[in-house]
Amino acid sequence: MRFFLFAIRRLAASVPTLLIVLAGLFMLLQFAPGDTVDALMAQMGGGDSAMMEQLRKYYGLDATATVQLVRYLTRLVQLDLGFSAIYGKPVIDVILERLPATLLLMASSLSFAFAGGLVLGVLAARRVNQWPDGVISTIGAIFYATPAFWLGLMGIIIFAVNLRVLPAGGLEEIGAGYTGLRRAVDIVWHLALPTATLGLIFLATYLRIMRASMLEVMTLDFVRTARAKGLAKAAVLRRHVLRNALLPMVTLVGLQAGTMLGGSVVVESVFALPGLGRLAYEAVVQRDLNTLLGIVFVSALLVICVNFLVDILYARLDPRIAN
Amino acid sequence: MQTLTRFLGNPVALIGLCLLVLVAAMALSAASLFPNNPLDLAGRPLQWPLSNPRFWLGTDVQGRDIAAVMFYGARVSLLIGVVATLIAMTIGILIGALAGYYGGIADEILMRLTEAFQTLPNFLLLLVLVAVFGSDIKTVTIAIGLVSWPASARLTRAEFLSLRNREFVEACRTIGMRDMQIIFREILPNAMPPVIVYASVVMAVAILLESALAFLNLSDPNVPSWGNLIGGGRAVLRTQWYVSAIPGVAILMTVLAVSLIGQGLNDALNPRLKRR
Amino acid sequence: MRLTRRDLLVSTAAAAYAATRPDVSWAQEQPKRGGTLSVHLPGEQRILNPAIRASTGVYIVTSKIVESLVDLGADGKPTPVLATSWEATPDGKTVTFKLREGVNWHDGKPFTSADVQYTALELWKKYLNYGTQLQQYLEAVDTPDDHTAVFRYSRPMPLALLLRALADLGYIAPRHVFEGTNILENPANTAPIGTGPFKFVQYERGQFIIAERNPNYWRKEFPYLDKIVWRVIADKSAASAALETGQIQLSTYSGLSLADYDRLKKDARFDISSRGIEANAFNNTLEFNVRRKELSDVRVRRAIVHAIDVPFFIENFLYGRGKPATGPIPSSSPAFYPGGEVPYPHDLKKAEALLDEAGYKRGADGIRFALKIVPIQNGEDVPLLATYIQQSLSKIGIKIDIVNLDIAGALSAVYRDWNFDLATGWHQYRGDPAVSTTVWYRSGSPKGAPWTNQWGWQSDAVDKLIDEAASELDPGKRKLLYADWVKVINEELPIWMVTERQFIAATSKQVQNHHTSPRWDSGDWHDTWIS
Repeated sequence: MRFFLFAIRRLAASVPTLLIVLAGLFMLLQFAPGDTVDALMAQMGGGDSAMMEQLRKYYGLDATATVQLVRYLTRLVQLDLGFSAIYGKPVIDVILERLPATLLLMASSLSFAFAGGLVLGVLAARRVNQWPDGVISTIGAIFYATPAFWLGLMGIIIFAVNLRVLPAGGLEEIGAGYTGLRRAVDIVWHLALPTATLGLIFLATYLRIMRASMLEVMTLDFVRTARAKGLAKAAVLRRHVLRNALLPMVTLVGLQAGTMLGGSVVVESVFALPGLGRLAYEAVVQRDLNTLLGIVFVSALLVICVNFLVDILYARLDPRIAN
Repeated sequence: MQTLTRFLGNPVALIGLCLLVLVAAMALSAASLFPNNPLDLAGRPLQWPLSNPRFWLGTDVQGRDIAAVMFYGARVSLLIGVVATLIAMTIGILIGALAGYYGGIADEILMRLTEAFQTLPNFLLLLVLVAVFGSDIKTVTIAIGLVSWPASARLTRAEFLSLRNREFVEACRTIGMRDMQIIFREILPNAMPPVIVYASVVMAVAILLESALAFLNLSDPNVPSWGNLIGGGRAVLRTQWYVSAIPGVAILMTVLAVSLIGQGLNDALNPRLKRR
Repeated sequence: MRLTRRDLLVSTAAAAYAATRPDVSWAQEQPKRGGTLSVHLPGEQRILNPAIRASTGVYIVTSKIVESLVDLGADGKPTPVLATSWEATPDGKTVTFKLREGVNWHDGKPFTSADVQYTALELWKKYLNYGTQLQQYLEAVDTPDDHTAVFRYSRPMPLALLLRALADLGYIAPRHVFEGTNILENPANTAPIGTGPFKFVQYERGQFIIAERNPNYWRKEFPYLDKIVWRVIADKSAASAALETGQIQLSTYSGLSLADYDRLKKDARFDISSRGIEANAFNNTLEFNVRRKELSDVRVRRAIVHAIDVPFFIENFLYGRGKPATGPIPSSSPAFYPGGEVPYPHDLKKAEALLDEAGYKRGADGIRFALKIVPIQNGEDVPLLATYIQQSLSKIGIKIDIVNLDIAGALSAVYRDWNFDLATGWHQYRGDPAVSTTVWYRSGSPKGAPWTNQWGWQSDAVDKLIDEAASELDPGKRKLLYADWVKVINEELPIWMVTERQFIAATSKQVQNHHTSPRWDSGDWHDTWIS
């Protein structure tokens, strides 16, 4: 019960922020040159001005910006995200269709980065200032500095074009009608390159944090006490050091939740994945305000949820914090 | 000065410094090595590196000398990195300082604002800013600065929160110093170290953001930039992959240099971590 | 007369050419039944209804499901589809169509003249882009019986123009599905119902569209294919990878990058050509904002055109696919092409001389004046041309700044706000100058209408020629009027057509009977099969 109340309070506290974000974005986009009807004209290849007038009325663009904003916020309060201009469907449907691809990509690359960063960070910390540390840290630094889209493109050239072991893009074989396990394997195959691309870049950050955190904790008093008591190094590592060193890693996951969508725009573009990032980009280009604001809304909710989970995990890892 | 010695004694920091010097050298020597406008049509497009003695890195999709664009592009990347970082840090430090020092209502409002910017995915906000204000290089730089300030604000605020109740601040208040003086002359210099380290992260991200924009063809085409090269080379990726590969390596090197320097600064300012 | 003999020559040549095409199975191979054709869909349309949206992006999918009154045959002449014959009165104000009998909609209801009447008056006249203009003088459609539709116009409508346009602008929608509903929100706009050889099955947004064989199609024995799948692949390199791995068998309307077409033409598995898309010619344009003082002087405009080496651009940036244009009417439109030379060939000296003459000397830094160019991003070649123009004009002392906007921003900056000096984009020629070409030159288009005359330029002589030609019934006289028109606009040069180009298609050699008519990709594919 207390948990539930806490969750509600958290959500309520984020409402003003959310309102600032959505209203701010809405007003900002009013200044963008061209509107969704212009984008539609581009798609259609032309049209006369009577038709454009008619379409503007249809999309509600003939009202002033303030009126449109009020209309939008009124709908939002009723949890109605509106209609997508691009797709002619409710925005929530469009988002739910594209959400899985982004979630899959993010979940798999973050897991890959977290796990890899953990293992390599521990390794580097155990052999600090020796050559394994040097090699791991250097490779980490290089991947951190690599532009995601460039890494993706190089991956496509090497693995998809030249070696032909992985598909060049897409989420799955379209129209092949795979189901169940076969379909899952197909999707995993298609997500291999995108996950590796994003994962390697995230991994570099996790690696660095884990290494620094391990080094910090290893010098603390309670570790020395445990060693003095005669515990083996590995046991010390597992039981005492790791738990505490994980705290910053968990914090990082919370912080990265916010950048999830941003990172995915470029990678989804390179690998032609039908995700939210690409949808957001399309929404900006086609001036589909409802869809764009809907994505931001959903993304903000996601960030709040992830941060909430992170806080809970934090409390579990460090009982001092829970009090 | 101890910090400087520590910094220069760190091999990681030295590598970063060397790389940065290399990139800066490219930027400074661009005009003398390549006197013509790098954006001009230099020769037949899509010639391979080393196939024509005039163009040792080949030509790109628009018939430009890739080597020239690489050298002039160093200027653009460094400038964007530095200016965007300055903008982001200035805004961030100001907001963080005011929020951390005054607390209360000011803190609430400023933190809500910071949270708002952090909730919005920064690349998305960048796309919107570019769509609204255009792709001119000045606009792009300011936009990148505008989406990068929240983290430094939080950092500054945290430092100010811990520093504002220290004795030396009390002492300043007692002798009647004005708030602004206390903030900028007394507290800020002490709060700077972690913030400065973070500046390197901001710069690295700024360079990556500009190249991502250029890749999506949303950056300034009137300026020779590495990102524009990569974006232009996307269409010929299968056959003339060098058009995208070469500038990618350059971006990698520059960002690596900046982040290694940042790491070095961090280690130099926190010597405790280096001890075993 | 010279013109008619040439016409004859051209059409015989076309017929002979058609007869020698190897893919037309006149020879031995028997068409195989069955199989699935996978097609590249580069972008998604908001509305999949050809009766209210005229664009190749719509036709590539819906013209297999929905049919028009006429289509174009192998010789480029209108052939009967839902209309079996047509006849116009001498005054050109009444056109009678006899409609095909025994045709049913996919939902079983019969196709009648009521559908034609409804579609023409409610959809073409009110919603269809380019259709509203084409049918602006349509007053009524009489339906004396279920299989006759009489179109009555208040001004003479040249039959050739109407028929040629109806191939694209003549799709019929089912009255019983659309009547009384909110047209733009009708679910049939994304699940089309038609009379065509394929029935709509499924549309998975962002992924694919599927259509299946219509067993009750009025052309008995057709279609040969079982299924067509359109795969949404927005990225061009992903699309060419899909073609090479066999995931798709056809990518048309230049859906792949020019570099990929160049690479694939050496691949024996594919046919890379512009055959079968002749009806959709387009030009790269250079548009002048004549309101700008420097550009209001025609000598300056001519100087700018002289400075650009178009053959070099075509050879090195378009992989040789295209020709310098002589005007807005392409050479692939023999009914109207007036011939002639390229009006302002590459000549740097002449360009400099004209600019000096106009009074714009070079300053101390070598620059005469600066202009902004807005690329209207219809294709990958538009930014290439914008940059090439920038590079070329810097040689004669004009500094060019490229203003990079996305498509919505570019259209509104150029055509609504007039916030540009130069602009470059595409002009699409749709078989007859009156459909979507003359509107680039005629005065009177309201602000904000894209791809119309927003240059701040106007000429009464040009307006007169355009109006006369639009209602001239005699094809020979029409052609002469347009020839005069081209001469005048080339002299005045409010805009310049830089290149004349065709779209390119990449087809797997497994596909048979493909690209057999000038608008094959927008056709119904009833006789296409896979070996």
